[in-house]
Amino acid sequence: MRRLRHIGGALLALLWMTPLHAQGPTGTVSGRVTDQGTQAPLAGVTVTAGSRGARTSADGRYTISGVPSGAFEVRARIIGYAPATHSTTVVGGQTVVVDLALAPQAVKLAEVVVTGYGEQRAGDITGAVKQIAPEEFNAGRVVSPGELILAKVAGAQVVDNNEPGGSVSIRIRGATSITASSEPLYVIDGQPVGTGAGGGINAGRDPLNFLNPNDIESITVLKDASAAAIYGSNAANGVVLIQTKTGRGGPLIEYRGSVSASSVTRLPSLLNPQQFREAVAQYAPARVSLLSDSSTDWFGQIDRTGLGQEHNLVVSGMGENSSYRLSVGYLKQDGIIRGSTTERVSLGANFDQRFFHDDLDIKLSLKGARGGDEFTPTDVLGNAAAMAPTQPVLDPTSGTGYWDWTTSNASPSNPVASLNLATNRGVTYRSLGNLQAQYAFPFLTGLKANVNAGYDIGKADRRFFFPSNLAAQVRQGHGQFQLTNSTQANSVVETYLNYASTVGGLPGSIDLTGGYSYTQQHDDRLFYDERGLSSNLLGDNAIVPADNVSSNDYITDYRLISFFGRVNYNINDRYMFAASLRRDGSSRFGANHAWGVFPSAAVAWRLASGGSKVSDLKLRASWAKTGNQAFGDYLQYSTYTYSDPLTQYQFGTQFINTIRPSAVDPDIHWEETQAYNVGLDYGFLNQRLSGTIDWYVKNTDDLIFYVPVAAGTNLSNYVTTNIASMRNRGIEVSLSAVVKQGGRGGLGWTADFNASHNGNELISINPSKSVKQVLTGSISGGVGNLVQVLKPGSPINSFFVYQQKYDDAGKPIEGGYVDQPTVLDSVACGSATPAAGCVGLYRPDGVINDSDRRPYHDPAPKWIFSHSSYLTLGKADLSITLRAYLGNYVYNNVASSLGAYQNLTGSAMPSNLQASVLETGFVVPQYYSDYFVEDGSFLRLDNITLGYAFNYGGRPWRVFGTVQNAFTLTGYSGVDPTAGLNGIDNNIYPRSRTFTGGLSVQF
Amino acid sequence: MRINHSRRDGPMSTRTWSGLAAAALLGLAAVGCTDPMVAPKSTVTTANIFTDKAAYQQFLAKIYAGLIVTGQRGPDGNADIGGIDEGFGEYLRLYWYLQEVPTDEALIGWNDPGLPDLNTGLWGADNSMVNAMYYRVFYQVMLVNEFLRQTVDDSLAARGQSDIKDQVHQYRAEARFLRALSYAHGLDLFGDIPLVTETDPLGATPPKQVARDSIFKYVVSELNDIKGSLPAVGPSAYGRATESAANMLLAELYLNAGVYTGTDHWADALAAAQTVIGSGSFSLSPSFHSNFTADNNLSPELIYVAPQDGNHTQTWGGMTFLVHAGCGGSMLASWFGMDYCWGGYRMTQQAYRLFGTGDSRGAFIYDSLTAVDSTTARRQRDSLATSDTTKWTKIDKTRSDSAGSVGSFDQGPANPKFTNMTSTGGRGAQLGMVDTDFPIFRLGEAYLIYAEAAVRSGTNRAQALTYVNLLRERAYGGAAGDITDPQLTLDFLLSERGRELLFEAKRRTDLIRYGLFQSGTYVWAWKGGVAGGTALTAGRDLYPIPANELIANPNLKQNPGY
Repeated sequence: MRRLRHIGGALLALLWMTPLHAQGPTGTVSGRVTDQGTQAPLAGVTVTAGSRGARTSADGRYTISGVPSGAFEVRARIIGYAPATHSTTVVGGQTVVVDLALAPQAVKLAEVVVTGYGEQRAGDITGAVKQIAPEEFNAGRVVSPGELILAKVAGAQVVDNNEPGGSVSIRIRGATSITASSEPLYVIDGQPVGTGAGGGINAGRDPLNFLNPNDIESITVLKDASAAAIYGSNAANGVVLIQTKTGRGGPLIEYRGSVSASSVTRLPSLLNPQQFREAVAQYAPARVSLLSDSSTDWFGQIDRTGLGQEHNLVVSGMGENSSYRLSVGYLKQDGIIRGSTTERVSLGANFDQRFFHDDLDIKLSLKGARGGDEFTPTDVLGNAAAMAPTQPVLDPTSGTGYWDWTTSNASPSNPVASLNLATNRGVTYRSLGNLQAQYAFPFLTGLKANVNAGYDIGKADRRFFFPSNLAAQVRQGHGQFQLTNSTQANSVVETYLNYASTVGGLPGSIDLTGGYSYTQQHDDRLFYDERGLSSNLLGDNAIVPADNVSSNDYITDYRLISFFGRVNYNINDRYMFAASLRRDGSSRFGANHAWGVFPSAAVAWRLASGGSKVSDLKLRASWAKTGNQAFGDYLQYSTYTYSDPLTQYQFGTQFINTIRPSAVDPDIHWEETQAYNVGLDYGFLNQRLSGTIDWYVKNTDDLIFYVPVAAGTNLSNYVTTNIASMRNRGIEVSLSAVVKQGGRGGLGWTADFNASHNGNELISINPSKSVKQVLTGSISGGVGNLVQVLKPGSPINSFFVYQQKYDDAGKPIEGGYVDQPTVLDSVACGSATPAAGCVGLYRPDGVINDSDRRPYHDPAPKWIFSHSSYLTLGKADLSITLRAYLGNYVYNNVASSLGAYQNLTGSAMPSNLQASVLETGFVVPQYYSDYFVEDGSFLRLDNITLGYAFNYGGRPWRVFGTVQNAFTLTGYSGVDPTAGLNGIDNNIYPRSRTFTGGLSVQF
Repeated sequence: MRINHSRRDGPMSTRTWSGLAAAALLGLAAVGCTDPMVAPKSTVTTANIFTDKAAYQQFLAKIYAGLIVTGQRGPDGNADIGGIDEGFGEYLRLYWYLQEVPTDEALIGWNDPGLPDLNTGLWGADNSMVNAMYYRVFYQVMLVNEFLRQTVDDSLAARGQSDIKDQVHQYRAEARFLRALSYAHGLDLFGDIPLVTETDPLGATPPKQVARDSIFKYVVSELNDIKGSLPAVGPSAYGRATESAANMLLAELYLNAGVYTGTDHWADALAAAQTVIGSGSFSLSPSFHSNFTADNNLSPELIYVAPQDGNHTQTWGGMTFLVHAGCGGSMLASWFGMDYCWGGYRMTQQAYRLFGTGDSRGAFIYDSLTAVDSTTARRQRDSLATSDTTKWTKIDKTRSDSAGSVGSFDQGPANPKFTNMTSTGGRGAQLGMVDTDFPIFRLGEAYLIYAEAAVRSGTNRAQALTYVNLLRERAYGGAAGDITDPQLTLDFLLSERGRELLFEAKRRTDLIRYGLFQSGTYVWAWKGGVAGGTALTAGRDLYPIPANELIANPNLKQNPGY
């Protein structure tokens, strides 16, 4: 492994040696290549003069030096355009300028797509990459950038948690990890932003909320491993590249503003006061006297119409050698549950200055925001469901003025009291900035040096306050205040060389990149918790004396050092090859595994192009190895943990704090994913119909897992180590159709269709490939109940439940479960006349116990379909985003825990019941019945936006209106079939329907 | 198309300069840093922890605490072991489950994973509670081994800590006691298990299984070796292992030696018990009840306890579990100084019938749903002896199969023996967490071990009778319950243990020693999964080696019958 350490350096050296030698008197051909129609400069065009060649830069310019004197055909060629030639004569020592304009054939193929450490033309790409432009972004109330591409990329599942500004998860081609993060790596303006969801820190909402979606120019998703592999040990979950907007034209002042209103779509089904009274009378007659005669709709007490507003002001402009864009944004969005709000003040600045005839290009990108978040106190949603509907909201005689059960700690408590008396809020500051310098070496055309230096700093402050007079606190004698204060400072320095040119003597052009990257992260997390408050007077604004205090401060440092290199070789746009290699050294890997190597290779073969019927047909195949190191720091060290003041041990009359050594695997290392991808890019009728089909397999090995180890070998029975493997397989189909070309006020209609299927299977948990399983998925109700399983042969997090038996009327039989064949019975089953109930060599064992639970469906959708339509008619435009999932299952935990009459008679005061109890009649909760695992398939109109553009004072203005979540069709009986990623609907935040109206103006 | 001849040029010197600068920057960065390793800052590791003198005591305290708390955050939140709900995974709670729930003493109605099968004796090798107990035993063993490795004299000298050498020697003896205690539990519950000591390196290949009698011999020799090095009984030793604690463990081991090794050690058991009794360090508490109250640290009878404290030592296991879970139905939590009742375990009718009228050890029994306070509850219990069946709302005392349902707390008499109230009627420091210490060894048991060893070996019967009657006189408040020599039989002693040590996590071992645990000669409610009770499948005298463990450690052989 050690000899690979300087492979990056070797690649650099290779690049330096590339200069070609010219003989005799030579001249130079230079010029600019543009689109014949739009006059826009064309980047990446191969221009040749005899055996010499060059590629155009972003402004369309090219320079071919060292051309022998004489007459030449200067040829310009790029996929998507008809080639052009021009004859010229080169005179030694002189420069001849040849400008060329190309006629478009299939424009999309020449579009520049941002890839890691560079950009490529869409038509050249050998991997599975999808770039989304602003006109395709989801409109309306969008707080976090991830929401922009919801339902826009085949194979990328975007999951939000319904809260305003709530965290957004993206699963690209399924989850690749169980213990580490399955979130993609985000790269903002070329700067990788840490591991896990969006890197950075936050006070509880999405960490990317600091980035104003209005500042985003494009989002590119690197789906297959070969495209992502240049990011090595962080790339196994795919990569999301975000480019922010820069100044163009102008000077220009733009304002874009909107207001919105959100309302609740669905709430849990609970008994109404009348039904509840009847249930208590029947099942807990002794408690009828406890009920009062009120009729309270507890959800009606805690929900609301959430209003929102957003304002963005942008000043941008462009000079001869520079451009700038400054933006300021303000957003406030109230959630549909009282007490939940998100607010953002953001600033953005992009500045670009070119020196030395554009040889040196310096770009500065700065983004920063303050996020203010209010959260619903943790117990409010659960208590709104469980609080008896017969009880009043207010009670003037109680300590708080709110009615509450006064006995039994397990009783539901008044959610309105929590909302009005407790607080739960956070403030996040985050800023990201980088300086990119690109230098085009004058002595070798096509060679560029890049230096990127960036920072990402954040501070998150989160505080909870539960006053001691709240009923739940009174019963425990508490009153609680908790403060978490985290800071994070990351710095990134990256340098790389890029050489793009034609190759002397060989057909085609080559693009070489080689570089070095250094990332450092410093975290400081201060935690303070106190119970038994001496005063409620100051709320969450102060730390008051308290009975019990526990606090800690934890500093972690992380470092990642990488060398990387990439070769792209393109022969006449017909054959394309790409290979990359990244070598990562990470502080998270054990000392014996400090360095990892992540290679990739890809080929593409263009079968057809430029035809009027078949305008493009390209076959791609790739393989790559990527890693995942989004797990904790210092796992390779045996550490000691101090006890808190509540876990001391008594020696005589003294209480001693204790120390605990940790179990450790010093050989811990990255998770490794090997992925294969075969794809077809197609375009017909001059690209009016175009799209891709991809098939992939991702095998993840060395999954990090918190696994049992043999007793007597380590300092606990579980240790975090690399032990499991799993597989994701799937296909993705996308089609983009220009159904009707617009223009001159006529109807224009572009329609995109995506379909993706992913199948996940856990292959093994330990090397012996035994049938061992690990239970996951904790639920509400009971103690320690887990309803999901990690079991080889099944998808991860499959529900692990009993098969419910039903009576003739179709009613589930309480405690009636199918006795699964679990006992090996070769005698009975192997005989000529198998005994009843024998399945294979197994028979039922006659009792219902844990061995009769079986994996039954899983939360991940098997198919995701999405459709977007973009219509224009005159000055009006309409866009629609539809999404459907098939085969995602949800465990309705509200029904399983509240859908049983025992909730009326237990040690707690009677709680309200979920309406399924009327159907099931369950007395004792049946947590493990598959009755509660429901098909969550749905069809949803995610977004519909109607706009009208017009000129005002010679400037383009636009008004628009958006409806988000216009409707959802589903058979699921709970609150939302997209119940987070884990598929357990346990009092999740309800989904809202949002109406937004806004306008954008320019001056 | 426009063609002309021109020159793109610029100040060559500036261009060259900038090129060189860029190249230099690039080169500088590339060689700048190639070492990714980062040492932890806010974290203590093996490399630095033992330079702190306090660490030795803190580590030892952790091993002691391993019996009663579940992790480094109270009452939960940073668990020691995985694979089980943290609260369930507490050492003494698990030990109590395994020692009490399958016996004639306790039934528990919860559906926590693995628990229902403990009521009936139908557990399998994948039982969560059984598994967690196995891992708790070895968790303790591995902590002790690591402690012993880190505290050899040479290491102390190397860290400049030789001045605390004598203190550390005592700590090492205490650690070895705790390892012996857990191995004693391990061999009693699981039979043949691996024997791992401080000489085995950490993280090595899975250990080999050794025979039960080898573990027995190892534990006995360890206890005899360290006895003299343990702290002396005294206020500063409360919660710690003394020589008497080691002798009590020896007495229990010898009493069951026939089960463990095939060879009886009655004389050794008698001698070990006598050493404890004769040490003069302990005396019977005048009130039986005061051994189980929030201030039971004041009882002169307790030899070794796992101390709990509402403010400092919090757990969902141990006494927190025993106090909360013994209360339910119409009982009020406030009678026991708590926030609420968990409605968990209660007695079988077999255990109930052991208590006669006037035996104050049965004074806690609560068997009616109609009582309104603890005083009334006690009166109702007393009235039972007069056949006042109207007070029996839920169980039929005349039938052996009358606990109609395991799942319902109000089927069967509760016995809230443990409480978070003090002996003087005050409340513990907190309502949710209890102050009551978990008695592991107390003098009352020493008397009963002595008596049984005497009866079984046919020696010292007179002394045995005296000891037994000391317990009887305390229970009856006088001589009313005294027995005579002919009444001092093995059957009587098993019953007496049932009365004296009810719910003190001794019962399963007792029934096995008497050959009654899995047999059909003595059955109790729900034994074998039948309301009236039936014999258990052969092999239930031992718990299974966890199924997971057989996979993780291919050296292991499963116990017969699983």
